[in-house]
Amino acid sequence: MLPELMPLEYLHAGQWADVAEVSGEPGWVSRLAEMGVRIGSRVRVVQGGSPCLLQIGDSRLSLRGDWAMQILVRPVAC
Amino acid sequence: MMAVRNPTIALVGNPNTGKTTLFNALAGMNQRVGNYPGVTVETKKGKLHIADRTLDLIDLPGTYSLAPRSPDEMVAVDVILGNNPSEPRPDVVVTIVDASNLERNLYLMTQVLELGVPVIIALNMVDVARSQGLKIDVDRLSQQLGVPIVPIQANRGVGLDALKSAIARVLESPACGRCPAFPDAFEHEVATLQACTGPTEPVYLIRRLVLDVGGYAEKRLGAKYGADLIDKMHAARQRLVQAGFTLAGIEARIRYAWIRKMTAGCIERPVERVVSWTDRLDKVLTHRILGTLIFLAVMFLVFETIFVVADPFMGWIKLGVGWIEETVASAMAAGPLRSLLVEGVIRGVGAVVVFIPQIVFLFAIIAVLEDCGYMARAAFLMDRLMARAGLNGKSFIPLLSSMACAVPGIMSARVIENPRDRLATILVAPLMSCSARLPVYSLLVAAFLPIEEYGWFVPGLVFFSLYLIGIILAPALAFVLKSTLLRGETPVFVMEMPLYKMPSAYTVLRRSFDAGRMFLKRAGTMILASMILVWAALYFPSGDFASRIETATQRLEGQRDELDEESIAAQEKKINELRSEWKAQSLLGQVGKWIEPAVEPLGWDWRIGMAALASFPAREVMVGTLGIIFGEGEGDAGEEEYRRTLGGALREARRPDGRAVFSVPVALSVLVFFALCCQCVSTLVVIKRETNTWRWPIFTFVYMTALAYVGAFLTYQIGCLF
Repeated sequence: MLPELMPLEYLHAGQWADVAEVSGEPGWVSRLAEMGVRIGSRVRVVQGGSPCLLQIGDSRLSLRGDWAMQILVRPVAC
Repeated sequence: MMAVRNPTIALVGNPNTGKTTLFNALAGMNQRVGNYPGVTVETKKGKLHIADRTLDLIDLPGTYSLAPRSPDEMVAVDVILGNNPSEPRPDVVVTIVDASNLERNLYLMTQVLELGVPVIIALNMVDVARSQGLKIDVDRLSQQLGVPIVPIQANRGVGLDALKSAIARVLESPACGRCPAFPDAFEHEVATLQACTGPTEPVYLIRRLVLDVGGYAEKRLGAKYGADLIDKMHAARQRLVQAGFTLAGIEARIRYAWIRKMTAGCIERPVERVVSWTDRLDKVLTHRILGTLIFLAVMFLVFETIFVVADPFMGWIKLGVGWIEETVASAMAAGPLRSLLVEGVIRGVGAVVVFIPQIVFLFAIIAVLEDCGYMARAAFLMDRLMARAGLNGKSFIPLLSSMACAVPGIMSARVIENPRDRLATILVAPLMSCSARLPVYSLLVAAFLPIEEYGWFVPGLVFFSLYLIGIILAPALAFVLKSTLLRGETPVFVMEMPLYKMPSAYTVLRRSFDAGRMFLKRAGTMILASMILVWAALYFPSGDFASRIETATQRLEGQRDELDEESIAAQEKKINELRSEWKAQSLLGQVGKWIEPAVEPLGWDWRIGMAALASFPAREVMVGTLGIIFGEGEGDAGEEEYRRTLGGALREARRPDGRAVFSVPVALSVLVFFALCCQCVSTLVVIKRETNTWRWPIFTFVYMTALAYVGAFLTYQIGCLF
């Protein structure tokens, strides 16, 4: 069975996950997509909290908690 | 005969891909930066020589995408489309792509291709990619994309010749690469909308009109073609959504799917991700507690360094200016012209030039922090704090840059997408202590709180506190602004952390050189002009003072050997009284006395008040004005070297009743005033340019002056209690 969807903010530091859904204002959804945060991309939380530090592909992004709540992810065991 | 236009090459790329380094490597010294030194927000231009041809090179702002949502992106789109009246349409666009982050960087490239220009990919950081275990089949990728790819290492100058010959080849036979196709339903809507605007509008802009909700295309085309087009746009979007497309996701999905197909079989990834230096460093440097402590330590060291390290350089400049002053004075007869040259021009410019070392050092340090990748970590650490002020971590970079100069700082606020955040950042940025305040700070701190009397840590501590005033007040005020005038919801904060790297010596030197040159330019033109005005206001009406002083001085020199020390001192005092009388009845003195009641509560006499007024064009004028008012004739032969420096003159300055003009509370009051005031025409002009209205510069000037007055008042009154 697939693990439950959860907001990105609740991932532990070091945990990997796949992005399942990004919601919010269209401009910002596009901006995130340009920067690599889109459905299907694999992310790792380097540092939790707000803002959190994410590893996405080969880049590192910092993202605020209120926004990280709008990204739903599916944790993957690694 | 008409001059043949040089072919134009434009450089585009994501931020932090080494685009500026590549530009520097290609253009060399042959480049013109925008008006102000600082972060890459202005379009930079240079010349590139390939064989015997000269090409124009344009460095466009670093962007993640050409979906124009920020002014930077709009500039890039306009230049590539040939919509910018001052730039010809580029013949070739060199897209710099970070090999270690290939897919995301190719996203931007697909948009450039869509603009219908020949593209060359400069594949940068191939060494970094290799060290991460990433293998890229360049030839195959180039074939699949239909675009020439040249692997380079911009920081080492590797691959530049190959890049130049690729440019030459593309200029010979220009060809556009393939680009991802949008679904038919979407293209149909685009065609319908273009029928309303006519064929003069590029298809790219029409696509953006449909895709970018609230973007620039909407604003611009809406203003041009009216509400009718906007209605049709809404209808088109509606139909697309009903057909099952999500506007926010459609573009990313199409582009990334295309990139995936094109890169298939060209990239080989390591099975396990290599732990890099960046990972290790980030563990410490972005740590909430450890990282913040390191950040504070870095900031404190920065300011101790510019105070201590720049000192010997400043000493040499002072000696040089003193020598020129003496040489000119002894070669000319007394009179208004000599006074203008020595006391107006040389001393005025000299008092400004002497601070070049500090400015150059500060800019060099900021350039190093930015170039090595630490600045983004600082922004990450500061985001929490900035969020409380209603700003975001991106506001940190403009605010920190404002510590060098508010002018580039305010301009770098363009990186902030949210207009309210951007405006709030612009309005509070001048509160940060800039390098033009350094002259005032170091003059007064060195004169009144010297190491010899107060201990090694006091000057550094006072400096640190003065910077702290801005560091605390700027976010506080931003908070007030964001909860009153600029109310709105908190924007989303996404920021990329670049890989750590060795800062490039060229970039660092270039930035500090530009900063120094810029400062000198200002010293040479606007500042000098205001200095001469101030000199004149202090010289005229001159009455017979000049000749009386000259006579008295000559008499004293003639009798010096016969007189005892006491009478020499008495005569010198008389001469100084003459000078002070002269100044008191001068134009400047009259205005100064008139405003004295207003500055008395700050502990200032009319002369300080006048110098503060006279420094409206630029803060550093304060030093020159003080030099003119207090720096004259305290010529005690025995202590001449000491009194050469203005600081000495200030300590000696007396009020008519014999009290010292300056005391420690007075000096602190002046310092606090200058930490908070907005005596800088350049800043006000830039705010006007960035906000496009005089309302905000006027607002900034008024609130900062009020804040400065209250701050100086409290400092003096509290200081007097001790």
